[in-house]
Amino acid sequence: MRSILLSLVLFVSAVAAAQVPSVTVENSKGESFDTSVLLEEGTPMIISFWSTSCKPCIRELDAVYESLPDWLDEVDFRVVAVSTDDNRLLAKAKSFAEGRGWGEDFTLLFDKNQDFMRAMNVSVVPHVFVVDSKGKIVFSHTSYVQGGEVELFEAVKKASRK
Amino acid sequence: MKKTILILTAFMMTAVSAFSEDKEKKDWGYLTGSLESTNHVYVKDAGNNFDPAFQPQLKDGNIFATNDYLKLDYYKGRLSAGLQMEGYFPTLVGYPVAQNKLSLSNLYVSWRDKSYSVTAGTFYEQFGSGLLFRSWEDRMLGLNNALLGARATYNFEDKVAVKAFWGVPRLGKIDDNAAMMGAEDAFFGLGLTKVHVAGADVSVSLSSLLGMEDISLSLEGSLLNKHEALGDLLKAAGCKENTLGWSGRVNFDMDGFFLKGEYVDAGKQIVSVAAAQNGRAAVNGNAQLVEFGYNGRGLGVTVTGRRMDRMTQKIYSFSGTESGYGSLSNMLSYRPAMSTQYTYMLTTLNPYSPEVGDKVIRAGEIGGQIDAFYNFRRGTAIGGKRGMKVHANFSTYYGLNETGGTEGGGLLFRDFSFDLEKQWTKKFKSVLMYSMQEYNKHHENTGLYIGTSHIVVADLLYKWTPKLSTRMELQYLATKDDQGDWMAGLLEVNFAPHWSVFASDMWNHGSTKLHYYNAGLSFSMAHLRVAAGYGRYRAGFICSGGVCRAIPAYTGANISLTASF
Repeated sequence: MRSILLSLVLFVSAVAAAQVPSVTVENSKGESFDTSVLLEEGTPMIISFWSTSCKPCIRELDAVYESLPDWLDEVDFRVVAVSTDDNRLLAKAKSFAEGRGWGEDFTLLFDKNQDFMRAMNVSVVPHVFVVDSKGKIVFSHTSYVQGGEVELFEAVKKASRK
Repeated sequence: MKKTILILTAFMMTAVSAFSEDKEKKDWGYLTGSLESTNHVYVKDAGNNFDPAFQPQLKDGNIFATNDYLKLDYYKGRLSAGLQMEGYFPTLVGYPVAQNKLSLSNLYVSWRDKSYSVTAGTFYEQFGSGLLFRSWEDRMLGLNNALLGARATYNFEDKVAVKAFWGVPRLGKIDDNAAMMGAEDAFFGLGLTKVHVAGADVSVSLSSLLGMEDISLSLEGSLLNKHEALGDLLKAAGCKENTLGWSGRVNFDMDGFFLKGEYVDAGKQIVSVAAAQNGRAAVNGNAQLVEFGYNGRGLGVTVTGRRMDRMTQKIYSFSGTESGYGSLSNMLSYRPAMSTQYTYMLTTLNPYSPEVGDKVIRAGEIGGQIDAFYNFRRGTAIGGKRGMKVHANFSTYYGLNETGGTEGGGLLFRDFSFDLEKQWTKKFKSVLMYSMQEYNKHHENTGLYIGTSHIVVADLLYKWTPKLSTRMELQYLATKDDQGDWMAGLLEVNFAPHWSVFASDMWNHGSTKLHYYNAGLSFSMAHLRVAAGYGRYRAGFICSGGVCRAIPAYTGANISLTASF
């Protein structure tokens, strides 16, 4: 166990900035969507992994949804909400997102076999990433407590200045 | 093994450091990874009928167990490669007993171009809804049926997508006895099966082919062949070593209306030796799934109907001697409970676990559910200043009898729930929920024992300052069945963005008078999350994604760490 932790520390000190890998997921119409397309717009983005049974995830995305109009006054960026629900809850996740109004302001993606989640090395949700306009991951955070969205927006502002 | 990891790590670290220094000049790619470690210290608790000394994985007075996962991925342009290591020192109580050592479980290399991809090594895959085929990992369930083999995919623009694979499934964690008997863990670490699986899937987007912009319409189909060596008894009963299954699917979406249909013929499924002796060893497995609804204007409605008839779809069809036969990972497809996945403590006491048709007396299940979400917008009469969200769900499932009919199948599960979420002021938000659940306590028997419970929940969140908030849950379960009434409460104090502290208790005051208490705290910062707690946990089911695993009661402390980089 100690060797694993030591290895981890060594790794963290050495890694180069990660990027968003190319993985096939679904869009809200059920069509295939290559995640590399997300980088084409060239603006910063928040990528948030969530699921319908994860209450902190929903609270975080709600908080972002509520704050978004004010945030967009300051910075031009996008929010990508990636549902990690299995096929059991896939249709429900789409209806759920609609019932919360997220579809209007977020890009909704559905990762039903968790391929994108694995590729981004997400172990537990909620997990958010901030990606700069060049596609580099500049911030990531696991779990959410009420008010944590302030730190997230600070990271977005920082990313937009790069 | 530890030395090997350190050497490997040092080597990779040096390489990555070199990459980092040089990255302005040349693209050396990048490394990412994650570490997950869950650790328990068990305590003898007569009240909970738990004694660590009687747990199969805890030997010689040991009270400590840990499940650990380390995953590393390297990306350079279109190339990616990675590995996953798993350690069980020993396995947590309630998980399949594994070898007490560190193992290399996943290893892959992949090339992904714009229109095609090739993967060699370990991979996960899903066809359609997963009813015909799915390989995936769910650490909460201790489930991992990854394939070791090769896969290729090809996309012709956004019109046609084809994928094909061949592989040997991994079968989760094997037990100590199997390891001693020389199960094939020498290379793959956690046990490969002797089963070979090959599959192909094609998806044709008619709307793209015909240039229809407002409509999304696609036709899809899959083939799956499983080769499994069978014993003489099953061969004599007419079972074949190759099982060929197929599925056909249609997906339609227009202006928020959607319709999905899937028919699965899983081929001949082997049910049991008893059935084999009756000359009915192999029966046809099939399933039908329909989903339709509407999403738009703040309204989301989904209706699902599904019938499963002998959808056993196991990796090892039937063998009491093959290691891992009884493992939860012994499945080639995904047949979840299609009902609400509850999350509040008392709503999860009797989760629904679907009847897939692996019992002689029941061939499967038939049923459906309806889910409706609506967002009363801000400024409307009901929505008020800050809007209001409502959700209702109804689901009902019946068993199929031995011949696949519904007569005598009996009610397996039925539930209705309603919840209302309202942000009253800038600081105060509430969720109120009611759930009625009817559950069959003995699927395997006659289905006459139906329990009914009514549960109410109040979830109240108050934001004292932008960084300090509290959340309280109050729950009550009323029933005349089982252990009678329960009540539960939870208090959580959050200090954004890093700290959270909680304490909760579930009290069965209707019968056992037992308290299931739990308290803990968590800290998260950037890539790291550490959580610690102490509690008494009731025997029951852990469910994730509609798949459930039975867990025994236990009491103790836990500390978990997740990190990604």
